[in-house]
Order: sequence, then C-alpha cells, then structure tokens
Amino acid sequence: MSGPAADERFDLRDLLSPEDAPRRWVKVIDQTKCIGCHACTTACKSENEVPLGVTRTYVKAVDVGTFPQANRAFQVTRCNQCEDAPCVAACPTSAMYRRPDGIVDFDKSVCIGCKACMAACPYDAIFINPDDHSAEKCNFCSHRIDAGLEPACVVVCPVEAILVGDLGDPSSRAAELVNREAVAVRRPEKETRPKLFYRGAHQATLDPLAARRPKGGLYMWSEQGEGVGSGSPAAWNTSAAALLSYDVPHKAPWDWRVSLYTWTKGVAAGVYLVAAVLALAGLLAWESDVWRFAVPVLAGAFLAATGGILIADLEHPKRFWMIFTRPQWRSWLTRGAFVIGAYSAVLALHLFAGVLGSSAPQRWLAAAGIPLAALTAVYTGYLFAQAKARDLWQSPLLPPHLLVQAALVGSAVLLLLGEAGEALRWTLAAAALAHVVFTLGEITLTHPTAHAHLAVRELTRGRYATPFWAGLVLAAAAIAAPWAGAAVVAPALVGLLLHEHAYVQSGQAVPLA
Amino acid sequence: MNVRELGERVSAAKRETLARGETFYPGPSRIHLASFPPRERWDDWADVRPDGSARRTMLVPTTCFNCESACGLLAYVDRETLQVRRFEGNPEHPGSRGRNCAKGPATLNQVTDPDRILYPLRRVGARGEGRWERVSWDEALDDLAARIRAAIVEGRPNEVMYHVGRPGEDGYTERVLAAWGVDGHNSHTNICSSGGRAGYHWWMGLDRPSPDHANADVILLVSAHLESGHYFNPHAQRVIEAKQRGAKLIVFDTRLSNTATHADWWLAPQPGSEAAILLAVANSLIRERAYDRDFVRRWWNWQEYLAHEHPDRPQTFEEFESVLAELYAEYTFERAERESGIDARALRDVARAVASAGTRLATHTWRSAAAGNLGGWQVSRTLFLLNALLGAIGTEGGTFPNAWTKFVPRPVSTPAHPETWNELTWPPEYPLAMNETSFLLPHLLEDGRGRLDVYFTRVYNPVWTNPDGFSWIDVLTDESLVGLHAALTPTWSETAFFADYVLPMGHGSERHDVHSYEQYDGQWIGFRQPVLRAARERLGEAIRDTRDVNPGEVWEENEFWIELSWRVDPDASLGIRPYFESRERPGEKLTVDEYYRHLFEHSVPGLPERAAEEGVTPLEYMRRYGAFEIRRGVGPLHEAPVPPEELDDPSIDAFGRVYTRADKQVSPNAVPLPTPDGDGEGRRPVGVVVDGVARRGFPTPSGRLEFWSRTLAEWGWPEAAVPTYLRSHVHPDSLEADQMVLISTFRVPVQIHTRSANAKWLDEIAHTNPLWLHPRDAERIGVRTGDLVRVETEIGHFVVKAWVTEGIRPGVVACSHHMGRWKLGEGGQRQAMATVALESEADHRQLRRRRGVAPFESADPDTKRIWWSDVGVHQNLTFPVHPDPVSGMHCWHQAVRVRRAGPGDAYGDVVVDAARSREVYRRWRELARPAPAVSPDGTRRPYWLLRPLKPSREAYRLPETVAR
Repeated sequence: MSGPAADERFDLRDLLSPEDAPRRWVKVIDQTKCIGCHACTTACKSENEVPLGVTRTYVKAVDVGTFPQANRAFQVTRCNQCEDAPCVAACPTSAMYRRPDGIVDFDKSVCIGCKACMAACPYDAIFINPDDHSAEKCNFCSHRIDAGLEPACVVVCPVEAILVGDLGDPSSRAAELVNREAVAVRRPEKETRPKLFYRGAHQATLDPLAARRPKGGLYMWSEQGEGVGSGSPAAWNTSAAALLSYDVPHKAPWDWRVSLYTWTKGVAAGVYLVAAVLALAGLLAWESDVWRFAVPVLAGAFLAATGGILIADLEHPKRFWMIFTRPQWRSWLTRGAFVIGAYSAVLALHLFAGVLGSSAPQRWLAAAGIPLAALTAVYTGYLFAQAKARDLWQSPLLPPHLLVQAALVGSAVLLLLGEAGEALRWTLAAAALAHVVFTLGEITLTHPTAHAHLAVRELTRGRYATPFWAGLVLAAAAIAAPWAGAAVVAPALVGLLLHEHAYVQSGQAVPLA
Repeated sequence: MNVRELGERVSAAKRETLARGETFYPGPSRIHLASFPPRERWDDWADVRPDGSARRTMLVPTTCFNCESACGLLAYVDRETLQVRRFEGNPEHPGSRGRNCAKGPATLNQVTDPDRILYPLRRVGARGEGRWERVSWDEALDDLAARIRAAIVEGRPNEVMYHVGRPGEDGYTERVLAAWGVDGHNSHTNICSSGGRAGYHWWMGLDRPSPDHANADVILLVSAHLESGHYFNPHAQRVIEAKQRGAKLIVFDTRLSNTATHADWWLAPQPGSEAAILLAVANSLIRERAYDRDFVRRWWNWQEYLAHEHPDRPQTFEEFESVLAELYAEYTFERAERESGIDARALRDVARAVASAGTRLATHTWRSAAAGNLGGWQVSRTLFLLNALLGAIGTEGGTFPNAWTKFVPRPVSTPAHPETWNELTWPPEYPLAMNETSFLLPHLLEDGRGRLDVYFTRVYNPVWTNPDGFSWIDVLTDESLVGLHAALTPTWSETAFFADYVLPMGHGSERHDVHSYEQYDGQWIGFRQPVLRAARERLGEAIRDTRDVNPGEVWEENEFWIELSWRVDPDASLGIRPYFESRERPGEKLTVDEYYRHLFEHSVPGLPERAAEEGVTPLEYMRRYGAFEIRRGVGPLHEAPVPPEELDDPSIDAFGRVYTRADKQVSPNAVPLPTPDGDGEGRRPVGVVVDGVARRGFPTPSGRLEFWSRTLAEWGWPEAAVPTYLRSHVHPDSLEADQMVLISTFRVPVQIHTRSANAKWLDEIAHTNPLWLHPRDAERIGVRTGDLVRVETEIGHFVVKAWVTEGIRPGVVACSHHMGRWKLGEGGQRQAMATVALESEADHRQLRRRRGVAPFESADPDTKRIWWSDVGVHQNLTFPVHPDPVSGMHCWHQAVRVRRAGPGDAYGDVVVDAARSREVYRRWRELARPAPAVSPDGTRRPYWLLRPLKPSREAYRLPETVAR
C-alpha cells in the first residue's frame, strides 16, 4: 500500500526507458510560479551545508513600475550549468569539471582555491566555502541525482517552480517547457550556453544592471552587506522604474594580492626583458655585472615574490603543486604557471652560468629567456581575458599593454643600478608614454558593453578613481626620466602599482548576478 | 563511509524502486528521480552527502512548529550519532505534500541554536534583572503545583492563567485547564485573527474560512497568502496550481506583497476601505442579478431578517431581493473609489471577474484589514457575502466553513468545562468578543479587576508582540499583580526575561502534538513527535520521558502537564488526577503513548484499518508517517438531509429551524462547534427545513447563513446586524492633515513573529524592518532610503530607517512585523536581538538601543560569520491598545506622524508615555457596549458563540452587580 502521492503518476514507459542512458540535464526556473519565498535558499543551505555569508542559490528581487502599477520580479539566482562553462576552462586543476551528463560539478579535494573560476563565471555563482576553503556552487545536487533523488530545491519548492529534466527526453516537464515556452537565459552574449532556463523572467532581473541599487545600505528587509551588490548605483540601463529590493552580498574574487602579483611579475619580466634587449642592441655589455648577476637576481627575486604572492592568494596554498601534477591546459593559470616555471629555470641557469663566470651560455639562454620573459609579462592578459565575466579585461590591447608595463617597471628598476643610464632613461620615458597612451585609450575608447562602461566608470569616476588617477599621474611623471633621471623611479613604480590595483578591482566592481 | 562500501545503498529512482516493490515518490519534475526515498527504507537509508559519502539515516516524520500551517517534516536522523542532520518535507502529509517554505529546513537551526535554553531556570534577584539559576524540574514543578493547588483549593481558580501564542495543537491543553476547573485559557487571538473570525462566525457559526483554492476559477485574497499567514505553503501550492490552470487572482494589499506580484488585479486600497470595495462588488452582483438567487433563497435567513426588520413589507423572497438592492445601492464603484483611492474602472473589472466565478469563488482573509481596522470584522463578513451571493460555499472551488475540513480526534476523556468565569479574559465590556481580550490584560490588572497567582506564557511573547508592551513590563514586574510567571519556551523572548521560571520546551521535532488544519477540501490529522524518541524506539529502546532524548533537559508540554497535574492533585482529592491517570494501568500516570494510542485507535476513522494494512498499530503508523488523510471531497455538508433517526419528536420554528429530542451522537471529531440554543422545550437544534427537507444547515441560531444576525441586533449592535461598512479609526476623515496610516503587521515570507529569530538562515535573509514609504511622501518629509525617520503614534514614537518604494500607497507607511527584537544584557538570542537599555520614570518609558548584533564565538562556526548588524526596531511598544467594541480585536493600524529624525533621535529609540496609553485604553473602552447594559437575557455572552474552554451555563449568568 502506498501513500496518497506515491502511485498516481505511475507510467509503464518509465519502466522501459533506460535510466542510465546519457542525459542532458537542464533546469527550468518558472518565474511565473515563483513566490519569492526562499524555500530553495534554505533547503540548499541545509542539503549542502552552506555556511552563512555565502550561498549557492538565492532569490533576487527587483521592484518594477510605479504605484499603483508596480510589481516585484523574482529571480532564483544560481549557477547556469553552462554547456561551455568558463569556470571549467579557467580551472587549473580540473576541480571544476563537466560531467558526461552535462552537470558542471566540482571536486573539492583538488581545488587549490585560486578563484579563477569565480573570476570567470559571468553569473557570480561560485564562492569559496569558508569551512573547507574550496570553490563550490550549485551542481544540481549531483549527489542526489546520482542517488535517484531530485535536487533539494526542486523538492522543497511550494509551487513546483523549479524543475529538472533531460533535454534528451522530450517528455520531461522541463524539456517540454524549454521546447514549447518562451524561456530565457541569463547573459547569452557570454556564449556560455546555459542549461538553466527561466520561464517568465523579467528583464529587470535577468540583466544585473537593469535595476537601480538603492543607496542607504538597505534592501526591503535586509542590509546590503559589503561588496558588489547587484543592480547599479548610478548607471542602470533601463528607462523603466526598477529598484533592486533584495540581493545577497557579493564579493570580488581577486583582492590586492592579484594587483600586487601583476606588478611584481611585471618587474620580474621587465628587468630581464629590458636588459636583454639593451644588450642585444649593444647598449648594455653582456659581460656587465648588471646582466650577469643583477638581472637574474632581481628578476628571480621578483619572480619568487610573484610565486609567493600567488601561493599566498590560494585558499589552499599547500596544494599549489597540483597545478603541475594535474594541469588543465586550457587554463591560463596553468599555462602561466608553466611559463613562470620555465622562466625561473632560465633565470636560475643564467645566474648559475654567471657564477661560473661564463657569459656565453647566458647569451644563448636569452634565446629562451626573452620569449619566456615576454610571455611572463603578457600571459596575464590572457588570464584576465579568461575571466569571461569581466568585460573590462576583454581588451585586445591588454597583452601589449602588459608588455609596456613590464618595460616601464623593468627599466625603472634597472635605472637604479647605474649602468646604461641613458638608454634606460629613454626606455623608461618611452614605456611611460606608451602606458599613458594605452591607459587613455582604454578609458576614452567606447567600450562595447554596459559592463565595461560601468567598470570604466568605477575606474575613472567611481570607487577606484583615486588610485587610478594618482597612478596615472605618477607613471606619467616617468616620461620626464631623460631629464629627471632616477628621481622618477619611485613615482613610476608606485604609479604602476596603483594602476594595477585600480584596474584589477574596477574590473571586478561590476555586478554580475 | 564511502558510498561503495555501504552495502545498503540503493537508488531512489523510479525503475529501481518499483522493481524492488517499493514506493516511488514522484517529484515535481515528473521524471525518473524521486522526491523522497521510498518509505519502506525510512528505517535505514544510505543518505548520500554532497562529498559523496553516505550516512546511515533514519527518516522520522514530525510537524513544523513555525507558523500555524503545520507542514510535514521528515527529520533525517543519523543512525550512528542519533543526531538530526536536516529536515525535509514529508510526502505523506496531505496538506503540505512534501513541500515547505524557507522555515521548514531552517528548523534545524532552531534545534542547533547555540543560544537555546537547555535547562529549567529560576530567576535570581528582581524580576527582569536578567540573573538566573539552574533548577531541577522537580523544584519547578513542586513550586508551581503548590501554588496552583492553593489557588484551586482556596477558591481562586481565576488566578491560574495559561496564555498561549501559537497553539500548534488541538485540544490537549484546553483539556488540562478544564480538568483543573479553571477558566484560565488566554490566547493571542485578539491580536491576530479575531476580526477575521468574527465576520465568518456571524455568517455561518464557524469562525474560519477554508477556501478550495486548487479548484477555484477566481481567488480573492484580502491577505498575503502566497508568502505568509494561515496557511502559507499549503495554500500557495494550491493558489498557484489554480493560476496555472487559468484561474484569476485578485489581491487586496496596501503594500506590494509577494502575493500581489501574482495578482491579475492588485488593489492597494486606502487602509480601512476594503469593506466598501467588497460591498461595491456585492452591489454590482445584486444590481445585475448576477448572484445565485436559488442559493440565497434557500440558505440565507432572509425570512427572519424581513420578519424582524421589515415586518410591514411582504414576506417574500422577491421583496427581500428588493430590500437587498436598496440596502446596498449606496455602495457604488464611485463611492468605493472615493473611499479606497482605486479607480472605479478597475473595481468594475474586479466585480466582473468575481461574477464570472459562479460557485468557484475561493475567498480568504484572516488578519490583514480585518485585524487592522476598527470594524475590521466587517471585512471578512463582506468578503464572505460574495461567496454567499454566488453560492460558492461548500462547493468545488468555493469556500468551506473550516469545521468541515478539520478533524480533532476526541481524547481519552473529556472533563466538564469550568464553572467559573474569568473577567480578566472575558471582561463584561466585550460580550461579543470572539476570543479572550488578551492584549488588555495589563490594563485590566491595573484596573484592579483581579490578580494572577500563576501565569504561564507558552510560545507567547506579549512584551514584544502585543501592543503597548511597556504596560506588560509594568505588570510583569509587579509581583502584587502577577505572583509567579512561568515562561514555557524553547528560546529566549522579551517576555521570558520577565519570568520567574523559564522552562524549556521542545521545538517542532522535540514534542508531541496532534493537529488538523483546513487547507483544502479534505480532512487530515498531523502528528508532531520528538523524532529522536521515535528513532530510538525504532532501534528497540523504550523511552518513557521525552527529556531522555531531547537536548539538555528540554521537555515537552504534554508530559509536563500530566506531571504537573499529578502534583497539583497527588491524592486525586480534587478530581483532577483521574484525567491524567492511565486506563491501562490504573493508579499510574497517563503516558503520551497511551494518550495518542487511544486517540488514534478510537477517534480517527479509517486509521486503524490503514494501519492494519501496513501491519502496524495506529500509533506506530502515525509515528512512521506523521499524518493521515481521513477524507477528501467533503462537499456541501449543509445540504445533507437529517437522518430520520435523529428526528425524535421534532419541532420546527417559524423560520424552519428543526429541533429534536434525539440525543446527540458523539462524534469522534471533537472540532469546536457553536452551541445554538434549543427550542426551550428540551429539544436541541438538529437542522433546518429547506424546500421541504430537513437539512443539516449551519451551526447558527437560524440554521442558515445569517445575513442578518439576530444576536448582533439583540446584543446592542442593530446597526451592524447585516454586512456593512464601518468607518475605520484610520479613515482619512479621522486623520489630521499631517497624519498617515501605519501598517505595522505585514509579514515577510521567511520569518514568523518572534519565533524564528533563532534560525540563522532566516535571519540572514531578513533581519530588519525599515519603514516603507512612497517616494512622494519621502520627498515631502525630506528623506531617502536609509535615512532615519521618527514615527509618532498616539502614545510615543520610534526611530527607524526609511525604505522608499513604489510598493506602497502614498499617504500610507508600513513597517514589517518580526523585527526589532531586543535583549537587556548578554543573555538572549545573539544573532537577532539588539542589546538595549530600558528606562522607566513616572510615566516615561524608553528603550534605547545600545548595539546591534555582531559575530560571536559558539559551537557553531557560523555565528562568527554573522555579517548583519541591524535587526530592526521594536515598533509595537508605541502602539496603544485599540479593542474593537464588537470583535474585541486589537485594531492594529495606527494614525502616525512621520518626520525626519531630529538631532536628539537615535536609531532604535522607542519612547512611550504610559499615562497616555492608559488614556487611550479608556477612550476605546468607551466604544464598547457592556453586557450589563445590552444583554437581553442577563447573561455575559450569547451562549451559542464559540468560546475556548466554554464554561458551564451557570457561569454565563451576569452577577447582580458587575465589578468595574
């Protein structure tokens, strides 16, 4: 004898259909039914033991319209289970991975906590769990699915607004809705091909910039908390009234350590690169102590600092070696690690040869050292670009700009050593000028997306305007290097550090959810 | 343990489950995945965790104890550690059907709350000083029992009072009080639903609606039922089901609720104008003859009405129709527009939609406008008028009287009701009050109308929840008025701070209760149980006392009352003990097992048979599945013919009421029913003649739907004897030019009064209560979101932040319920209570916020991650009491002045003038028409009306002179 709900849906076809056939899992959030009750939010917290302050799923709310023709639109907000998941591409260790059935899942035992997945996710759906320091997100409750159970949010929802189904099985309700109804996905322009579909969602919720974020630190019944709230404080992009009325606090994944790493890495690459180029041009003697010892020591030291900062930035610093033991080659973090590794090896050999008193091998090593130093400088451009969520960083000018930045800080540091002063002063001036041009280009060129607009706004007029403009002025001072000499070294170095900080942070200052 | 090593691991998927011959619970997606593990495996289920490991788990049902919906829960109990790991819904529960709102899963937070009360505490020092010592249950019980016994023996039964907030159960505690012979039941109902109840009660003798949302074509809610209220989750499921089927939804709510977001018509009326709108709709149905004439003719008491009110006119139905049309002719859409501010065209559309519903009109109101306004009880009455016009009562998709879709199993023995009348709960001024005038208690005590020697508060927090909380503090700290206060509560509350004993009682998964709620066209019972007790019994242990399984020394009320009653009457000399004695083992205490075994074996039709099919006893069945559906498709019970055997020497009065001498059959369903009077010749009412057939009818004096209430007419309210529009105390004409209306009662979907502050997941989502105000008003006052505003009521003010929103009518402000919790020192709920200082000097009362909440160290690492600091402002302190002269309901809406906060104002400030609060109390009391002045028969209250713990008839007689 079975319960009231148990036997009424029995269907022989289900017995015949193979339950272990390949599936293409999709979810449908039916916003025409959602009552904004947050049952999914707490059921998920309960099922997945999600701590306070972070969330795998929550219900965003936007008040639209004007009284009495006002309304509130909800959006159950979570991982989009992308067919082309940026988090998977960005993960250096395959901790984020796509299962054969399409579920984007994660393996916490191999997560190094680099937050590249978070930087990459266009939906801001990934977070670091403060208990285990690994990245996590909605994974369709894959452990439940594997046990033959529907995800926790699907089961709890009072109005059955969340459905899971197999696109390969057209009879499943979710597939039926996807195939027959007007469904939408979030941010299709990111080309991630989400497998989370919204029925009846409002544009004011789908688009994270469509609603005005209230000032005053409040939503309708909660505090806004720290971080990057959804909505836009100033530049919302709809003419209709839309006010963000509930959201959770969001945090930028990459903090000052990433800005600092960009800078130290620029020095590490630039010192060698500038010195090698000057040497090739005959402006610096191959036998000079600068080339033989100072360059590898300085570059090596800054590279070591870079590595140290990178490891310190990991939530699992002790797992950094997993980048090398289980590399995921599409990840620019992996590629960068190998580039830096190879560059470190060249620098070590260079120094070793210098200690042995032989400059010839150093010259030969430059054949590998120059491209590796250049790659060390520019790969970050690709790393940032792989952060698909951050429109500001999708700039084609970023790799050459990083090269220029390396030249700027490299020549500045070298200038302190006293050799090839004239050439270095002019190099520094030229690099500073190029940096200023690149930067002005960046902020004056019309960006193609609203997200990039907002990031530039934060950079030049918003939260990061002070470090940005100070950095630009200080770096611009280095144009005077031919005349001012070593006096501009400090401004140049500080200016670029401020620039990196402003650039890295403003790129992440755009709400995504 | 690794999944692969766990031999018992099986799939819950459909094919595999069915192949094993087990129950497959289909989920919403209707694919091969189950929503729950097969019930055959609830004893030992390999519960796979997110990390791929699995835990051997027992699934044990219980009932959520957050709101009144009583949704089913399944506790996932770890077989190895015997800890509850989480709560999910219960697929065997017919009301909630396996689903929950946010509060269901968050029950886990309440169980593991690091600030919960684990041991009985006794105050040290003065009451309210905040110092406590741990005592044994024995000490507490002996102290309480001695005082209760003394009160009973010394003829002071009314000095024993039990004041309940969320009952969460049907009948158990009332039985205890009846056994003690005290009229000591006090409820929260008059700050909650009395207004709503009254309107329904006057119509049909039953005080709750039971809308069949799922089958309705038009749903009209004067409430926010998709997010709160009775019965949030069960009703939301069915409302949305209906909407997906094409039903239309009409929502009245002055602020933009989540419910309003789903409305086809969202009407945001001027508060208090709701009845005017509903009467305009009724008028259009009448004018256009769009009502069900046959239903009205058959079931309304129009004959009685004509005979009394229009004796000179022809006593025909056609004449009544003319009278009806005249009566409501003034309620035009234009007038409704003037009153409500809503465009008459929109109202016409709404009326057309209502007319199109026919008998598939599901309507519902419970608190909302009925609880906000003077005369609010006419809101539910005028709302139900629409059902009565369309015949949408007891129909598929219509609205039912709740007693038809509710089942209260009759307990093992039923004591007679008390022979005493408690004027502290039923004062003579309010003979028609639907429930105890609970919120007036401090004023009645200060009037000198009596004192309390033993006062229990149970899951009730009047200091915080009730209006005029300072008057509660004043009384609770006065030992001459309240001799002993025992707070029965699982968690700290503002009221518990002012107790002598704080006695920890279990959460939803730590206690026994049985309950039934009207959530659809069917009857069911739910069983709440201590899940660890059930789990350990399944493992073969014998558990005699729930304290053995609960955390610390947390107990449950069922066993507590049995134990306390024994100590009150150890030798059975007072006649109390027998009600708490085992029948199976005479001379020994009744156990909860025996109590519920009897209930389930004898009083729940169909349960023994169902249990037998499963090869278990009825009690085992309920412990295993947690709920049982007794019947589905109740239908129009009023139409049922009275069986001939019940018509012994019948008499029929002039209007068709049928009386009989046949004894009343004792029904296993002990749902409270009113008791209309007999014919004065020894016969009891049994039915009513409709079209020549004696039918069951309704439990009203007339047996019909009472369009006109003879009771109201005779008890001093002839002008309100028919559904009509009464002007609210916050009607625009009563407001000064600079006053606005404050709606203070609106609820958010993730909190429930003061009961859920101990749930971190809920607090994280909603933790503050800014004042909602329209941009136009914000501009006028000169504030923006986040700025401080000062809200001035009749007796004081509070300072709160502004939330500027288009989701509210201009001229109206709203501040959510739930928030503004406080504690005086370190003890209390640290994640949700601000720390405050109370000041009291002469009539000046003040609460100052010292600090908000902050992260703290505890056994739960999450408490260090508390990221919010603002927990809102306690507004209810600044509300004076507003007793409705008829229903007794506290009329919540406030006329307020809202200003930009001044330099002397600080966030969270609350200031009250106690003298003015007394003055307002006296002014509102003047509106009442006291029983000694209006009673037509020398009684305190119409005997037929529902009343908890209804005393004997003798106690109803008014004394010669009423103490004032």
